[in-house]
Amino acid sequence: MRESTIMFLHYVAAVLIMITGLIHLLANNDPVIGAAIKASPVLYLGNMAIFLAALLYHAFNGVRVILIEMVPDRCWTKWISWAILIVGIVTYAVGLQVLMVALGFA
Amino acid sequence: MASEEAKEYVLPPEVLEETVKASEELWKPVRKIKFRIYKYNPRKDYAPHWEEHELEVSRGMTVLDALLIIKGETDHSLGIRYSCRMGLCGSCAMMINGKQMLACQTRVLEAAGSGDVVELRPLDNFPVERDLAADFTSFFEKHRAVKPWIIRNDEVELNNPTGPYKQTVDEYARYYQFTDCIKCGACLSACPTAATDYEYLGPQALAQAYRYIVDTRDDGLDVRIPIVDTEHGCWRCHFAASCSDVCPRGVDPAQGIQLLKKLLIKRKFGLKPHKPAEALPAKVKAEKEG
Ligand code: SF4
Ligand code: SF4
Ligand code: FES
Repeated sequence: MRESTIMFLHYVAAVLIMITGLIHLLANNDPVIGAAIKASPVLYLGNMAIFLAALLYHAFNGVRVILIEMVPDRCWTKWISWAILIVGIVTYAVGLQVLMVALGFA
Repeated sequence: MASEEAKEYVLPPEVLEETVKASEELWKPVRKIKFRIYKYNPRKDYAPHWEEHELEVSRGMTVLDALLIIKGETDHSLGIRYSCRMGLCGSCAMMINGKQMLACQTRVLEAAGSGDVVELRPLDNFPVERDLAADFTSFFEKHRAVKPWIIRNDEVELNNPTGPYKQTVDEYARYYQFTDCIKCGACLSACPTAATDYEYLGPQALAQAYRYIVDTRDDGLDVRIPIVDTEHGCWRCHFAASCSDVCPRGVDPAQGIQLLKKLLIKRKFGLKPHKPAEALPAKVKAEKEG
């Protein structure tokens, strides 16, 4: 994948974090809006799944960028990207499971 | 006739006197300055060290003037690089009291400020060739890597030109400032990314990539994408703009890099910056005929 695609998704993830994060905050802090949002638990779970995915993508890509700059050796660059991708996917899988348990889906 | 013409250029005596006086004033020694100079020959020395030289300096004396006096009188082994002595060749950039500057364009008293010490060392982020001369091998490799020349696909026109390529003033203005780059290396030296990521293409090369990509005579965006759109390419720029801050020619490489990123994103959606300029055969024909 080209670096521009990765970085474009990085910025898209930032926007998604703001939108889904706001929905999450409103759902848990405003009783009226919260009730409306949580009326559909599946949709709320979807929001949280997107929030978690965007958050992890943005955070792990940030770590990848820092590591690439600190260890500029070209053969390490590929390894760093793959290692971060795997750690990211595992973290997301665990996080999603925790979310499903917390929201009563499992 | 010739003597009459020559007469017109003789300065009136009072102006001449004033000019001589001003020049004497400019070159009169006014202060003693201590020069702290980095000395290191990587082929011979185990570690770098500092040497100090004291010099009476005048108001007009540049750091390069002072270095040439030191080299001529007290330390013949001093390694420095210079050529034009007028801020055009980009050879003499170095760290002057911690900031990237051209030695031939910086006056000693301006660098010293209210202090009496001027510290000189080779450019940061560059390997040392010897003393104050940095090794530019990788810098020029990066510059060459972005293909800093016009790329066209119309082989026939390239091999048998029928006329100059059409370009409006507005189109020229898009890249004009970047043509002022003298490849002095000050920007790469000030870049925090380049400080750790030695594979990073750097502000100079990336700004030049942008300069050619937006030149309407060029059609090389797709050829340059695999070079600049990489892990160590333009996306590693964090827009701190230290590069633009130190450029002695007023080029703004940081802006060039951000605009380059924008072009790359637009290309993802199928957009190109321009249609390659066409040749103007009529003009050549007219020139040939007339
Ligand atoms: S952009 Fe400016 S600082 Fe960088 S190499 Fe060119 S002239 Fe020097
Ligand atoms: S703006 Fe980009 S290229 Fe310029 S100094 Fe900052 S990180 Fe380096
Ligand atoms: S000697 Fe050419 S820029 Fe200083």
